[in-house]
Amino acid sequence: MRRALHAEWTKLRTTPGTGLLLLTVVAATVGIGVLASAVTDCRAGGCTVDLAKVSLTGVQLGQAVVAVLAVQVIGAEYSTGMIHLSLTAVPRRLTVLAAKALVLTAVVTTAAAAGVAGSLLAADRLLPLAVTDAAVLRAAAGSVLYLVLVGLLALGVTTAVRNPGAAAGLVLGLLYLFPLIGLATTDPDFRRHLDQIGPMAAGLAVQATTGLDSVAVSPWRGLAVLGAWAAAALLAGGLLIRLRDA
Amino acid sequence: MNETSIVVSGLRKRFGPTLALDGMSFTVGPGQVTGFAGPNGAGKSTTMRIVLGLDAPDEGSALVGGRPYRSLPCPLRVVGSLLDAGALQPGRTARNHLLWLAHSQGLTAARVDQVLEQAGLTGVARRRAGGFSLGMRQRLGIAAAMLGDPPVLMLDEPFNGMDPEGIVWIRGFLRALAAEGRAVLLSTHLMSELQDTADHVVLVGRGRVLADRTMPELLARHGSLERAYLELTRDAVEFRAAGSPEASR
Amino acid sequence: MRAALHAEWTKLRTVRGWVVALAVAAVAVVGLGLLAGGQGSCGRNGPQSECVLPVGPGGQEVTDSFTFVHRSLTGDGSITVRLNGLTGVLPRKPGPGGPADSTGPQVAEGDPGDGEPGLAPWAKGGLIVKDGTRPGSTYAAIMLTGAHGVRMQHDYVHDRAGPPVPATTARWLRLTRAGQTITGQESPDGTAWTTVGTVRLPGLPATAQVGAFATSPQYTWVAGGGRGVGGVTGGPSQATATFDSLGLQGTAPDPAWMRTLVGGGAPGQPEEVGAGFRVAGSGDIAPAVAGISGIGTTISQTLIGTFAGLILVVVVATMTMTAEYRRGMIRTTVAAVPRRGRVLLAKAVVLGGTAFGLGVPAAAVVIFVGQRMLRDRGVYVHPASTATEVRLVVGTGLLLAGAAVLALALGTVLRRGFTAVVAGIVVVVLPYLLAMSVLPAEPAQWLLRVTPAAAFALQQSAVSHPQVDHFPIPVNGYFPLSPWAGLAVLAGWTALTLGLAVLSLRRRDV
Repeated sequence: MRRALHAEWTKLRTTPGTGLLLLTVVAATVGIGVLASAVTDCRAGGCTVDLAKVSLTGVQLGQAVVAVLAVQVIGAEYSTGMIHLSLTAVPRRLTVLAAKALVLTAVVTTAAAAGVAGSLLAADRLLPLAVTDAAVLRAAAGSVLYLVLVGLLALGVTTAVRNPGAAAGLVLGLLYLFPLIGLATTDPDFRRHLDQIGPMAAGLAVQATTGLDSVAVSPWRGLAVLGAWAAAALLAGGLLIRLRDA
Repeated sequence: MNETSIVVSGLRKRFGPTLALDGMSFTVGPGQVTGFAGPNGAGKSTTMRIVLGLDAPDEGSALVGGRPYRSLPCPLRVVGSLLDAGALQPGRTARNHLLWLAHSQGLTAARVDQVLEQAGLTGVARRRAGGFSLGMRQRLGIAAAMLGDPPVLMLDEPFNGMDPEGIVWIRGFLRALAAEGRAVLLSTHLMSELQDTADHVVLVGRGRVLADRTMPELLARHGSLERAYLELTRDAVEFRAAGSPEASR
Repeated sequence: MRAALHAEWTKLRTVRGWVVALAVAAVAVVGLGLLAGGQGSCGRNGPQSECVLPVGPGGQEVTDSFTFVHRSLTGDGSITVRLNGLTGVLPRKPGPGGPADSTGPQVAEGDPGDGEPGLAPWAKGGLIVKDGTRPGSTYAAIMLTGAHGVRMQHDYVHDRAGPPVPATTARWLRLTRAGQTITGQESPDGTAWTTVGTVRLPGLPATAQVGAFATSPQYTWVAGGGRGVGGVTGGPSQATATFDSLGLQGTAPDPAWMRTLVGGGAPGQPEEVGAGFRVAGSGDIAPAVAGISGIGTTISQTLIGTFAGLILVVVVATMTMTAEYRRGMIRTTVAAVPRRGRVLLAKAVVLGGTAFGLGVPAAAVVIFVGQRMLRDRGVYVHPASTATEVRLVVGTGLLLAGAAVLALALGTVLRRGFTAVVAGIVVVVLPYLLAMSVLPAEPAQWLLRVTPAAAFALQQSAVSHPQVDHFPIPVNGYFPLSPWAGLAVLAGWTALTLGLAVLSLRRRDV
């Protein structure tokens, strides 16, 4: 396992574009977060919105970049055929997948933490938000975990479908379609249900710091829902990579 | 069998309606270059993929150094292989491509530089592998196969895209490896090259072994390896162009 | 070019995965459209539960509820009154820590009595002549409004401005009937009269109801910097008009004044109109609008499956290009058609045409069948004109086609399939999602003006009326650009990216 980790780390750091993608995660998260914070005007009529959530809006774009990174981690190997070489070097396939998951977790955690911290620092200047508040810190830590879990979800999905383009479409479909259908539905119970099971809506519940008694799913439970999606995707990917011919 | 060998016994593999392997059995012994030849679709690649644990056989087994490939803790130190020279991420440099492979076997960058030197790639080690010609990619693939200094080597069509100098190099290189006591399996369609390089030939068709003889035996019986090939695989060819002498027969 | 087109079409239809994905795209547009609507309660709970909006003289749905102090008038005549300003009650303003950031618009329960003083901008009080008290009947009215001065309105959709006086001023108002013609006048002092408008009401019978009215529409607070869904709360408001000097000239068959809640279902009560009287009302006399102050859903929402279709189309479109790079097939392609720009255009035409060709029938099924299914399930669906329906169907096809070509161009520029897929989906879908769910109204509208998501305006079915306060913001189904301007934005981005793609394909070695 240590050798597989070392190999995956070398692979990731020598893939051109990894650094750029990680910077893009940070830039997208901070950029959209700052924009959202800047346009939220709390002077007129007070702020009834969840300021922590506003300041972390950038996570919604950041997750797309994380998904690109995660899809690339294994998808680029499938599209070039290099996966054969990887599995020849490390024939224990679950070890390969686990090593990829760990390396991905490490780099996404770093980038996400930078992005989330940047967003909160900006919000501290732009909004009347107590960033050291326990709930705000929970929202921040949860957002970092959220991005990591989105990455793991994308890794699992890509391992399962092997085609990186299709995997990218599937991951973004999973993330975006639930809230979109929720927007279109006329049935509030159905919408609540979608918010409870959709990986994005449920996962982002971890950003809620106000109105906690009226949310569809509580913060940590919502993150656990996303965790379940990621675990299911990794499980499917793990089973398929183990059972299928490479 | 000692650890310097590939033992393939009774492999069967079906892909949908196609029976790719139909009881493939042979042994690759140490200290010689074993040629692996047969028509397109005969099952050569599938056999090598099964040896490397990439595909699972429906029946039968493939052992490397007496063990299934997937159970080897550091497989590249036991078997070096080259299946598809194009299977690399084009954006990575040649050296970095070998570096992650080395790290996966607990090897260091020093070993990477050694095999780069051996394959004659030192000058281009820091160039993107995506810009390499096919011949250079083959050299890189052979360097990767040599990385773990393995007692067994398995190469699929290493002559493809090689310039004459490169072909001469591979030939001498493989002979030297065999002389060191290693087992070398060399799959190719180039009968003249094989005739000059191999000591032993496993000829396959329709998923099974058609002939498993030493080179002197084949040459004594058929005159040349090419003739031996054409005569032995006559009934095992799946794809044949209209108008070829064999088709009109 | 014909040969290149034929070649690209053959390439597209011979990859089984792509054909399946495109078929699934069409099925997703239809399936999600038919399934996602949910259940409604209209017509489910007995005869009083049908969701039926009154229909105005022009055939459009209207809101028609107000408090009416009226008397019948046969033949020609006139009615004059002095209106001593409007006062009103607004729903309670949401405070910090109040209901915030839930997933849907919140409409406060309860009557506006427990709210705070204030006037809705389109609160109305004045004189009206109307064909009976049935909601939806023809009318003409002259009124003072909360923030839009004196207005003359008739038959729900027509609105003419008079002097922009504040709602607190005293103003004389007069309506005069001469045959089918109604003239509305206003005066600061009861002597110098100004005509605000003269309108024809062809459907007005000989005996009409005339009198004073007051009403005030649903009011919406947009709090915390005008956030989209999250900070929007609202509820019913109320307006009270204080009148005196009511004078009626003409033949009045009924001896007494009546007070009726039009649209309230209860019969009218006799009313003593003395020197002065007050009329308090809640509701509106206006075209019905979708959104927070409306009910039910619009046919646009049945097209939600467009997003699933869009994602699949983007994936396939991207791959048609990146798959060529992956295995070097691009070399064969440009060897067969050396003019590389032509290769790309052929691909664009084939993909765009295919996406359009599957989007249109799928959207047609959703619009025509889905609408009926929703109604059968008790969901109120705002009717739309046939022209709107056709625009939605064709627009969905154009949206998919534009996204497909954009994705193809992105695939050519970026070369890597998954990056192009993510880029394609993010630039088209994410702005829409952010605008609809988290962003405040202004940045949401900005996003829907400048990003390719502007083209979703093609799917807008809600109609906007200036004389109704209904927050024409994205969450309520109103896009900042007109449908065709929205399409132009997408087309612009697509053309730009396609241009870059042609350049990079020409310049780069394959």
